[in-house]
Amino acid sequence: MSEYIVEVGKRHIKEINEEIQHAAAADKVIRVVNTLSRHNLGIGLPVGCKVSFEGSTGYYCGGLNVGATIDIERNAGWACGEGMSKGHITVGGYAGMSCGAAMMGGTIHVKGDAGPRVGVAMKGGNIVVEGKIGYQSGFMSHSGKIIALGGAGESCADALWEGEIWVVGEIDSLGVDAHAVEPTAEEVAEVDAILDPLGLVDTSREWRKLVSGQRLWYFESRDASAWLMI
Amino acid sequence: MCGIAGRIRRGVGTVGRDLVDLMDAQEHRGADSTGFAVYGPPRDVGYVLRGIGFNKIQMDADLADFTNILRDHGSDLLSDPKIVQDANKHYCFRMEIKEPTDLAAWVADADELTDRIEIQSCGRSLEIIKDMGGSAEVAEKHGVHDMQGTHGLGHARLATESSVLPNASHPFWARPFSDVAIVHNGQITDYFTWRAKLERRGYRFLTENDSELIAVWVSDQIKAGLSMEQALRKSISSIDGVFTYMIANTDGVGFAKDRFAMKPLVVIDRDGDLAMATEEQAVRRVFSDECDVINYDGPSLTGLWGVNNRSLAA
Repeated sequence: MSEYIVEVGKRHIKEINEEIQHAAAADKVIRVVNTLSRHNLGIGLPVGCKVSFEGSTGYYCGGLNVGATIDIERNAGWACGEGMSKGHITVGGYAGMSCGAAMMGGTIHVKGDAGPRVGVAMKGGNIVVEGKIGYQSGFMSHSGKIIALGGAGESCADALWEGEIWVVGEIDSLGVDAHAVEPTAEEVAEVDAILDPLGLVDTSREWRKLVSGQRLWYFESRDASAWLMI
Repeated sequence: MCGIAGRIRRGVGTVGRDLVDLMDAQEHRGADSTGFAVYGPPRDVGYVLRGIGFNKIQMDADLADFTNILRDHGSDLLSDPKIVQDANKHYCFRMEIKEPTDLAAWVADADELTDRIEIQSCGRSLEIIKDMGGSAEVAEKHGVHDMQGTHGLGHARLATESSVLPNASHPFWARPFSDVAIVHNGQITDYFTWRAKLERRGYRFLTENDSELIAVWVSDQIKAGLSMEQALRKSISSIDGVFTYMIANTDGVGFAKDRFAMKPLVVIDRDGDLAMATEEQAVRRVFSDECDVINYDGPSLTGLWGVNNRSLAA
C-alpha cells in the first residue's frame, strides 16, 4: 500500500474528507498533516482504511466509523468516534467530552485521560482509557465496556443501563444507581482479551466493575403506556 | 451555543488582532453578533467610555443630553467623541471623559437614557466593542485589529433566549465597576429568580439576555467585598444552569464552569502568554504549533490568570 498525504490547514473540511475517501478507495495508507484541531475530520471512513492524523483533531473525528483504523497522534476534541460501528481509533493524548458517544462497536483506545461522559449512551464496543475518565462517564450506556486504567471522576456510571465500566484506581464518586461488583475470573479474562492487542495486560490489577443497580424506573416491569401521558 | 475567548499577552501588543483571530475560528458557534473587551494601557487620567445610540437620526440631541448628565456629575469630555455608523439605525461611540465624582451615581442617571443611549463599558483600560455580525465584519467596522493592549475577551453569539440586538451582545460590562467585563457560553436557568432578587436590591437590567445577569451578579458580589476568585467560586453553587463564563479586570482573566460540565474551555498557557477559547482550533490560531493544550472539561471548575503572572487570588 502506498502512502498518500492530505494537508488540512485552512481548507474546507468537506474537500479534505472527500480527498481522504478517494485515497482510501485507491487503497492508500493516508497521512493527514497540519490538522490544527479542525472539526469533523475523517467522518464515515470505510472498512480497511488506514488513516493517521498527525497532530490534534477537533470535534467528531472518526465519527460514524464503519471499519477504518484511525490513529490520532495527539488530542481529540469532543465526541471522537461518535456513532462508530466497527474499526479502531487510537488517541495519543487526551480525548475531549463524550468520547465514543453512542458507539455501537469497534474499539477506541485513549492513551491519556478522557473528558466527561466517556461512552455516553454507547450501545456496544469497547473504550479503553489508559488515564482517568471524566465526570459522569458511562452515563446511560446501554452496552459495551468502558475500561479506565487511571481512575474515574465524579458521578461515574450514573444512570447506567446494561453497559459496564471497569476501573483501576480511584473513583471520585459513583453516580445514581451505580453499583460496584466483584468481577469473576472469567470476566477479568474477557477484559484482558480486549487489552492484550493493545499491550496493556497487567495481571496484578485490582479491578472494580461498575454496573447498574437496576433500581431506576425503566428497569421495572411497568406498563409503558402509563408514562406516555396520552 | 456561543463561542468565548480570552487572551493574555506578556506586555502590550496586538491583543485586538489576536481576539479577532480567536473569534474568527469560532464564528460557526454564532454569527448573530460579535464582541470584544480589550484592555489597553491604563490611562492616568479619566476614563474611556464606549456606548451605543439607538437612533442615529437624533444622535446630536441624544449625545448632548448624555454629555449634560456627565457634566452634572462633575465630569466632561476630554476630547471629541468618535462615532462609528453604517446603514444600520444604531451608531456606536467612543468618548474620553474626566472622572465623574461618583461613578455609580453617574451611571444610574445616565441609564435613564437607556431607550436612546446605552453605556457599553467604562474604564481606565477596558473598551468593549460589540455589534451585529461575524468577527471580521465587526472588527473591520470598529478597527479592532489595530487595538493594542495586554489582554481581553471575545464572544460570538448565537442568540437563543433573547433578541438579536447590538446591545444584547457580549461582552457585558459589570456596571458600575470600571474595567470589569464578562463573556458567557451557556444558559442561566434561574434567570428570572435572580433578576427579581437583584432588581429588588436596586440593580437595573438593560437587556433580557441571561448573560447580563452574570455581569450584574458579579457587580453585586464585588459590592459585597468578594474578590474575583471568591465570586467565581460562589457563582457555581449560586447560579443554576449550564455555563462557562469568563470575567476580566485590569489585572487579568478568570473563568467558572457549571456543576454539569456541559460547556468547554481550552487553554494554551506558555508561561503567562495565554489563549483561551471554547474550541481548541481557535487557540491554535494564536499558537499554531502543536503545543500542549489544557482542557477544562470537568465540573465546578474555576481559574485565574494574571497579566504578567500577577496574582489575582487576593
